[in-house]
Formats: sequence, C-alpha cells, structure tokens
Amino acid sequence: MLFLQLLANGLQVGAIYALTAAGFSLIFGSTKIFHFAHGATFAIAAYLFHFALAGLGLHWTFAVAVAALSAVVFGVLLDRLMYAPIQRHEGSFFTVFVASFGIGIVVQNLLGSVFGRGFMSVSTPLSNSIEVMPGLYLSPLNGLAVVVAIVCFVALHFFMTHTFIGKGLRALSENPELVRTFGLSPRRLSTYAFALGSLLVVPGAIFTAAGTGINPAVGHHVMLISLAATIVGGIGSLRGAACAGLLIGVAENLAMWKLGTQWSEAITFAILFFFIIFKPSGFFGRATVS
Amino acid sequence: MTAYILNLLVLISVYAILATTLNFIIGYAGIFSLAHAVFFGIGGYTAALVAMNVSPEFFVAVPAAMAAAAVTSLLLALPALRVRGEYFVAASLGLQVLAVTLFSEWKSFTGGIGGVIGIPAVELFGFPVYKPWQFLVMALICLAIIIAITRTLVHTSFGRSLKAIRDSESAALASGKNITVIKTFSVVLSSALAAVAGALYAFYMSFINVESFMLDTSVMVMAMVIIGGTATIVGPLLGAALLMLMPSALTYLTFLPQTEIGSIQQIVYGLAMVLLMIFRPGGIVSSHPGGGK
Repeated sequence: MLFLQLLANGLQVGAIYALTAAGFSLIFGSTKIFHFAHGATFAIAAYLFHFALAGLGLHWTFAVAVAALSAVVFGVLLDRLMYAPIQRHEGSFFTVFVASFGIGIVVQNLLGSVFGRGFMSVSTPLSNSIEVMPGLYLSPLNGLAVVVAIVCFVALHFFMTHTFIGKGLRALSENPELVRTFGLSPRRLSTYAFALGSLLVVPGAIFTAAGTGINPAVGHHVMLISLAATIVGGIGSLRGAACAGLLIGVAENLAMWKLGTQWSEAITFAILFFFIIFKPSGFFGRATVS
Repeated sequence: MTAYILNLLVLISVYAILATTLNFIIGYAGIFSLAHAVFFGIGGYTAALVAMNVSPEFFVAVPAAMAAAAVTSLLLALPALRVRGEYFVAASLGLQVLAVTLFSEWKSFTGGIGGVIGIPAVELFGFPVYKPWQFLVMALICLAIIIAITRTLVHTSFGRSLKAIRDSESAALASGKNITVIKTFSVVLSSALAAVAGALYAFYMSFINVESFMLDTSVMVMAMVIIGGTATIVGPLLGAALLMLMPSALTYLTFLPQTEIGSIQQIVYGLAMVLLMIFRPGGIVSSHPGGGK
C-alpha cells in the first residue's frame, strides 16, 4: 500500500515538475537564455496565490488570476529589463546565468522577509485526503494535478504546432538569423516565450501551495529539479521535459520507500549526473552538444 | 576588538583561497563549477580526521586533505571533459547536491549533521599554532603560496593552453593541445588547493559540519570571483574581502532590523551580481573592459 501511496504522490509531484520543466525548456530552447530565475517565478506565483486566497480572502478564481498575472509580468519584466540589456552587449551563457542566479537569491530573501521563512500551506476543500483503499489516501488534488498537466501539454502542443507565434518560437530555436531575415523580431518572440514559459509554472505553484506547502526556498528546489528534468529529457524537447519530470517525481517518491526522505534529491541528481556523462542530449534531444 | 578583526581576517584569507582556486578554473579554463564547496568540505573533513587519529602536524594533515580532494575531483573532471556550458553547470550542481547528502549521511567520516567536534590545534613541526595572530600569519602564507602557484601557471605555456581551450576548444585541439590532460590537471589542482582552505578552516574553527559546505557556499565563492573580477589576481581577493566584510558592515547600520541582516546581505549580493552582469560583466577588476568571458 505504501508503494501505491508513494506512486500516487510521485505522479502528482511529477506532473508539477513536468510543467515547470516544460516552461524552462520552452524559454531555454527558443531564446537560449539560461533562465535560472524560473524558480523565482514559481515561488512568486505560489506566494501571491497563497496571499490572495488566505490573506485577502479572495475567491479562488481571482487568486489563480493573480498568480498567473504575477508570473507572466515577472517573467516578461526580467526578459525586458535584465536579459535584453545583457544580450545587447555580450550575452554569453555565463553572464546570463550569474544574473539569473542573483535574481533568484534576491526573490527568495525578499519573500522570506515579507511572508516569513516557515512552511505555509493553504487548505482548500480539494486538499482533504480520503482513504480510497486501506492505507491509500488520495485527495482530489492528486488527480486534478495530473489532469491539468495533461490539458496543459495538449494545449501547448497545439499552440506550438498550429499558431503563428508557436511556429515562430520553434523557428527561433532552430535559427534566429533566419527568423530575422523573415522579418520577425527575435526580441518580440523572446517576450512571448517568457510569457508562455512563466505561465506554465502557475498550475504547479498553485498545487504546491494548496498541497504540500511552500517556503521561500521552494523556487530554488523546483528549479533544480526542472533543470535536471530539462536536461534528462533533452533541452528544447517539451515531450522530453514532460517524461523526465514525471520520471523524476516518481523516482524521488519511490526512493523514499527504500532509502528514506533524505536521499530523494540525491537520487534525482545521480540520474542527472549519469545522463550528462553518458547521454548529454537526453531522451529526445538533438544529438549535437556544444 | 582585536580578536574580532583577527577572526574576520582569518576567515577572509580562507575564502580568498577558495575564490582564487575557483577563479583558476572559471577565469582561465572556462570550467564554471558550482561544486567548489565539495572540495572545501572534503579538505576540512579529511584534515579533521587525520588530525584526530594520526597527527595534527600541518605537513601531514594538509597533504592528506589535498590528496583526498584531488582524487574525488576526478568526478568533476569527467563531465568537464565531455560537456561545456549549461551542461557542465548542471553536472557540477548535481555533484554538489550528492555531496551534501553524503556529508550528512556518512556518519563515520563526517559525523553526520552534528559534524566533527574537538579538532585539535594544528602543529607546525611539533609547535601548536592556536593564537589567532599566529593562525592568521599561517593562513596568509598559504594564500600567498597559492596565489604564486596559480599566477606562475597562468603565465607559462600551460596557462596559455588553458586560455586557448577556454576561448575555442576545437581550435586548441587543432593546434595540438592535449585537452584531456590540461583540463583534468587544472580541475585536480584547483580542487586540491581548495582543500587547503578546508583544512585551515577545520583547524581554525575546531568544529565543522555540513552547513559550511552546502550549495550556498559554492554560490557565495562563485559570487566572490564574479563580483571581484574573473581571470584577474586581485579580483577574487577583493571579492572575498567585500563579501566577508558585508555582514559585519551591515550590523553597524543600526536602522536596519537586526533579524533581517542575513536576508539583506543576501539581497545585496544578489543585486550586485545582477547589476554587475548588466553593466560590467567582467567584475570590479575587469581584465578586458567592456566584456569578460
């Protein structure tokens, strides 16, 4: 029974990782910006959702809207105010990463100062677990997370293959110069990538705030996992990010079964380490690695 | 007050060693490691173990610490040879997270979360060094030797090969450089020298635990190198001094809420990283104005 319980938890956590990793992968794949502050977006969305729902007592639809809006605004602002100036004069991977990491530190500490450093969680009618079978507790949230993730992935796939902007983003990941010759602006496409990628963290942020709870370091943790999932899945591959996120979520929870909680992060990074050494292109990545 | 200043100076020297050795691989080899605290930790734990069980002699404990770090650093050299850029950052991050778990779980080596307590004072040829000013002199001598080693290496043909690899690996390969040997050697050397800082830290504090060797430390050392200026000698020293002095300087600003000092310090250096990358990517002491590598 413990096995089924951990598998169920693993699927929920995996769905959240998959969505966050897909957002990171989308941004990184199309703009080549190593957006480490993606975790900060996650934390901001989670905290503002919590604040709107529990602090202001708003209806949950408004709280979701607040979270979504804040994530998109934060992502786009970073792109415009931080990444654009860096890319204008140099934009090496190294410079972008350091700036992004810096923002992550700032956001984590600001959230800690404003909302407190402890664990917070908001209880919703959907969070309550029901004993489905002896020893197996499931909350509606478990199933909802997986359903929402599937819906998001289907929608994202449709968006990337059937809309003008989606096709533009895929073109940008292939060849930015060619995009420019076609009269499209890589800068504008980059803004769309950030808006969309940041939007993808919102379901995960909400489910985490309403489920296991959040603390200021949550963004950092989720970012590490998403980075692992993105690389294991293959950079730029949404399908890869989804599979790897799910795999890591399940592996992390099953590791608890045999080894204990303290090993869960180590398992994820052992998987990542071996992938980088033996198959750096990941599950579905292109063969070239610079 | 003297004790307070001496304490601060010893810690600055220890972190300056870390920053200098990290700068050696970031600035000259282009190997952007987020796992430097791992070798700091291995050095600290090994020196503590040797001092408690074999001998607290400096010339026994420190070489042992360096050897342990050199051997484990091959784990970091492996991904460094195969991948670059974001893939390597991710690999080093993985190594750092794995190491923290091992440090907290491997109780016979590290004492688990509780750490190692009661590390004896270090001895130089049988004379114990325990007074703070004696220790400071020893730490400064170590720092000077390490700076001299890295500086000499950078100015030899080895250093030029390293920079050639950093700027274009395929071009370096085409001109007949043995990339495998050069990269592996620079990672091993940097890690072994970082272990010296670990050993000094363990002897100075006489207590160490995993808290000092986490990802936060790796990031802080990275920040020292970047804020100070990569690929320079003075940059990492300046960065180490600035970041170590900042918490004490902030405590003098009495209008700040004292419970938030930790957060404010982190916010300041996070912002410093962002602003420097936008306006001066080479760091305060920039080796090539207008843009570093």
